[in-house]
Amino acid sequence: MRYEVTLDDRRIRVELGEDGRFTVEDRVVAADVRETVRGRQWSIVVEGESHEVTVVTLDPLRLDVDGHDVRASVVDERALRAGRGAVGARTGRVELRAPMPGLLKAVHVKEGDRVAADAPLATLEAMKMENELLAPSAGRIAKVRAAAGTKVEAGAVLIVIANE
Amino acid sequence: MRAADAAYPIGAAAPRESYLNAARIIQVAKRAGCDAIHPGYGFLSENADFAQAVADAGLVFVGPPAKVQRLLGEKTAARALAREVDVPVAQGTEPLRDAAAARDAAKKIGYPVLLKPAGGGGGKGMRVVARDEDLEAAWRGATGEATAAFGAPALYLERQIRSARHVEMQILADRDGNVVWLGERDCSIQRRHQKLIEESPGPSVTEDLRAKLGAAAVRIAKRAGYVNAGTVEFLVEANGIFNFLEVNTRLQVEHPVTEMVTGLDLVALQLRIAAGEPLPFKQDEITRTGAAIECRITAEDPFAGFIPASGRVALAREPAGPGIRVDSALFSGMTVPSEYDSLLAKVIAHGRDREEAIARMRRALEEMRLAGIPTSLPFHRTALYEQDFITGRYDTDFVARWDPKKVPDLTDGAAASAALAAVLAQRSRTERRAVATADDPWARAGREDALR
Repeated sequence: MRYEVTLDDRRIRVELGEDGRFTVEDRVVAADVRETVRGRQWSIVVEGESHEVTVVTLDPLRLDVDGHDVRASVVDERALRAGRGAVGARTGRVELRAPMPGLLKAVHVKEGDRVAADAPLATLEAMKMENELLAPSAGRIAKVRAAAGTKVEAGAVLIVIANE
Repeated sequence: MRAADAAYPIGAAAPRESYLNAARIIQVAKRAGCDAIHPGYGFLSENADFAQAVADAGLVFVGPPAKVQRLLGEKTAARALAREVDVPVAQGTEPLRDAAAARDAAKKIGYPVLLKPAGGGGGKGMRVVARDEDLEAAWRGATGEATAAFGAPALYLERQIRSARHVEMQILADRDGNVVWLGERDCSIQRRHQKLIEESPGPSVTEDLRAKLGAAAVRIAKRAGYVNAGTVEFLVEANGIFNFLEVNTRLQVEHPVTEMVTGLDLVALQLRIAAGEPLPFKQDEITRTGAAIECRITAEDPFAGFIPASGRVALAREPAGPGIRVDSALFSGMTVPSEYDSLLAKVIAHGRDREEAIARMRRALEEMRLAGIPTSLPFHRTALYEQDFITGRYDTDFVARWDPKKVPDLTDGAAASAALAAVLAQRSRTERRAVATADDPWARAGREDALR
């Protein structure tokens, strides 16, 4: 079975052969794969190098790879044929979410403003500190979803940026 | 709490309801039959009213008495005391009335200046102001933070000393007035004036400077009538000129660094001093061996300006091995609350020399696993390979200069392994779902219906 795996911004084609052989990017890889915790952790030796991969969350798939935090998604060949992309289709919209619960002290932008990547968009007070929330990408402010002075939960969408 | 022999609830998660509720803490301590309270290193640990309330309740406060805390806790009074015993302080002011007074003072001192809460230290509520037009806004922000952190809005100004190192001296004092210094810690690696890496000995501290800092710290402690463990903080410039910053009238987060090089148990000594025992050693009996480094692993995202994070720790594995110590309360599945400080774990490495301590720390951080929430680990792992760190020539701008892009991408081998594991994880999940569906009671019921 063939798969397309996305690791952060990187796409890798993987094939699992009936004979237990692995092909990565069309190359047969000598890999020694041990499942150290069922369904959650693997110790993998690829060409003499040892790696440890742990499933942090399944949905969405998040991996710890030798101590690196990696977002992953897997699409198999049937889905690929059906035309579904590996990554969520690029809608051209990026959301700024509250990274933790807290008090939204200030919103520095309004709808229609153009912002550069890393521009400060809002101030969130949490953990006894005021934190500047920065624009995840450049674009135009499409929506401001939370008002200054309100309490917000972790993960709440605060601002939507439209990429142009 | 899991390591404690006994535990008593002190209230709800919100600090005001529990860890900052002095009356409640004392009431619980009395009920539990305690004879002393150790305040730790956060919350009420530098609160003179709490120290007084503990004493008034007939309990022993493990730390300096309230009047010493009050004297040194007022930062401008502490500066005046340092000057009295010939310890240099940075040019600065008394507590200021308002933003206008601050602007006048700043013009005299010259920008950049530091706006600091007079009511407490530790970098909380402190602002660097580079220009006159930024002072008003900084004043408002700092007043708010100072009120929230210390219950006192008073602010004062100090000349900002750039590219300096934050070097602090650990002291111990007994009730008979004996004071010793144990050695310095360099805590220059900070973000938002909060420390991320500390080490001892300080890589830039000569034997001569160490003796001077030690003597200065002892003079301040003696003049203040200090009792128990404390830390005297200094800013040291490249030319060895030093200025007194403040006294932390408590045990510090980074005390393990000093414990590793001196072989002393500071908390045990605190308890002995609080029980009225004299110091069990003299200044010349204190020895320091090798070098120690501490990395404060915090729930903060180094890729997003060290913004604090909360959430569930899905995976936690602590390092071990020769010369490695971990102080933490981590376990897989724990939830990091948003009510408290973001410190998750302290990893401390000790070696025969600085080189060995660095090597052990690098290995320990590679072994450590923390996943599910953003942590400072990527910063710490790369910081220990920075040329400025290796040569020991860093200063308080180290974190500001750190570039998240320095965190290496996955190697091809790691990426191939990750891709294989991702596929296997997905398959394992699909298989389990298939098994689950077969055993699903509704599915069984459906089959039985069909068979009837």
